[in-house]
Amino acid sequence: MERNYATPEEYGLPDLLCCAASREVKDNEIVFAGTGLPMVAIMLAQKTHAPNLKLIFEAGTLDGRPPQIPTSVGDARCEMGASRSSGLHDAFSVAQRGYVDLGFLGGAEVDEYGNVNTTCIGNYLEPELRLTGSGGNPDINSFARRTVFIMVHEKRRFTEQVSYITSPGWKVKKWPEGTLVHRKELYGSAYRGGPSAVISTAGVFRFDDETGRIYLDTCHRGNTPEQIREMCQFDLDISRVSGETLPPTREELHFIHSVLDPEQIFIPKVKQKG
Amino acid sequence: MTGKRITLQQAAEIIKDGSSLTFSGFTIWRRPFALVFELIRQGRKGLHLIEVNGGPQTEFLVGAGCVDIWESCWVGHELYGKYGANLSRKVGNKEIIVEDYSHAEMMFRFAAAASGAPYAATQTSLGTDLHNPEYDMLGRAGLRDGERIPKHKYVFTEDPFYGAGKQVLVPAAKVDVAVMCVQQVGEEGTVRVNGQFYSDPEAARAADITIVMAEEIVPEEYLRRESDRNTIASFEVDYILECPFGAHPTGMFGRYDVDGAFLKDFYGRTRTQEGFDDFAKEWIHGQDHHSYLEKLGWPRMLNLKANTALNYSTGVKRGQ
Repeated sequence: MERNYATPEEYGLPDLLCCAASREVKDNEIVFAGTGLPMVAIMLAQKTHAPNLKLIFEAGTLDGRPPQIPTSVGDARCEMGASRSSGLHDAFSVAQRGYVDLGFLGGAEVDEYGNVNTTCIGNYLEPELRLTGSGGNPDINSFARRTVFIMVHEKRRFTEQVSYITSPGWKVKKWPEGTLVHRKELYGSAYRGGPSAVISTAGVFRFDDETGRIYLDTCHRGNTPEQIREMCQFDLDISRVSGETLPPTREELHFIHSVLDPEQIFIPKVKQKG
Repeated sequence: MTGKRITLQQAAEIIKDGSSLTFSGFTIWRRPFALVFELIRQGRKGLHLIEVNGGPQTEFLVGAGCVDIWESCWVGHELYGKYGANLSRKVGNKEIIVEDYSHAEMMFRFAAAASGAPYAATQTSLGTDLHNPEYDMLGRAGLRDGERIPKHKYVFTEDPFYGAGKQVLVPAAKVDVAVMCVQQVGEEGTVRVNGQFYSDPEAARAADITIVMAEEIVPEEYLRRESDRNTIASFEVDYILECPFGAHPTGMFGRYDVDGAFLKDFYGRTRTQEGFDDFAKEWIHGQDHHSYLEKLGWPRMLNLKANTALNYSTGVKRGQ
């Protein structure tokens, strides 16, 4: 079936991010989602190409089928149609046990190995700004087979060294020494995978299987690979760019704005001109 | 009557200066706010919060200067304030000690305490700065006495049973007092939580003293007719009190929604200490629970009231 892509006037950047994130989900997967855009993305996948995905919300609902977007993972809407409504011990045990295929997370800073910071800006012992803290970020990133991050793209956020490694990337620190090693070495039989994509407000990034280093895959409309490289503090690999990020389809836009988030909690509607 | 019933003021008095404390709920849901406000009114000092995750209750207590130590993983107001501005300010000024763990680690720490085990083994967060030995803040402050505060933040070990590699041992979260905010409690202490129970069963069992604040106290016999629907057993609960709308401004499944406008206002106004003091003067000091509810007013509370079929409010405007 031919896909009915929207024209540039019909969608905004949040729509594009949501659709790009949604396309990371495969049918029948077990997905662990955080509050916000990740939730909309996953529920969009459920309405389109992945009707059999199973949703886990950290606060304790397993395989919920909320008809409306919850405001947070603790929301009453999460448990509508759930297979089981329980608590955090269940949700994290399911993750540690290895059921989770895909995790969706956000972050404030990321480095070239996919280490993510959500704890503080500046030196941890003398922080300029304390952020929310780890939450479930490191847990999902430790246990899911792959993790997708959705992030605002700014040069200071795509950094050579994050202020604090809250969530483990492909090359992580082996304590107590703090030497950098591949995560496979550290996780032993708990190793299942790691960060698979970063969807920023500029483009979609993936990680090299061997080196664990990030590279640019697609650019969002209006960005060139060179411009995106300039927006990173590390030397971004742009040799493998496959093109422009696919726009949303009209069907996807319909689900986002008319079915999932009509109240515009997470995704504002584009104002159509005249 | 079993003599477990106390007042809000008495409940706050059980929590002493320097007590360690934990709460029911998750981020902006089912937090025992009426008691949090009462602790602020009573001027409690030196509290040690040990939380599976933080939320507005953390921010209020921290802003009011009640807290010396915060051990947890996350603090904020979800959609209504992206991070904990009061905690951030006090961390910057070194007025508070923060010990960071991951969410799963905190959960497993509570589960260990709840089962009487000294620690839990996990593999989460390997390779992160959560395990950076330089960042053991309670150790740096010389507070690791091996009594209520564990001797170590973590211990690494190799799996001695199955050869599964590196493991992180995290200490049990031993807590003096847990305060729960739930829909129903029986006269003998049986708790029925509706909806997700978050980490409530473990938190209640991990603490030495458990206080349950409920929307309503119901006949114990009523809850025992369907014991499979109950969440916490009677003997795990030491004190009970009835406090309708006790979780406001956080939400309570099936009863009322989160008051997002209130939290947004709090977040916006309390980035400075003067702002916090001003907010506390308006909403906390000189009030009691009933005058607080009167100040909120019926129209606001009725708008938050959950639809009993859907368990959430259809009146709350959530988006833009």
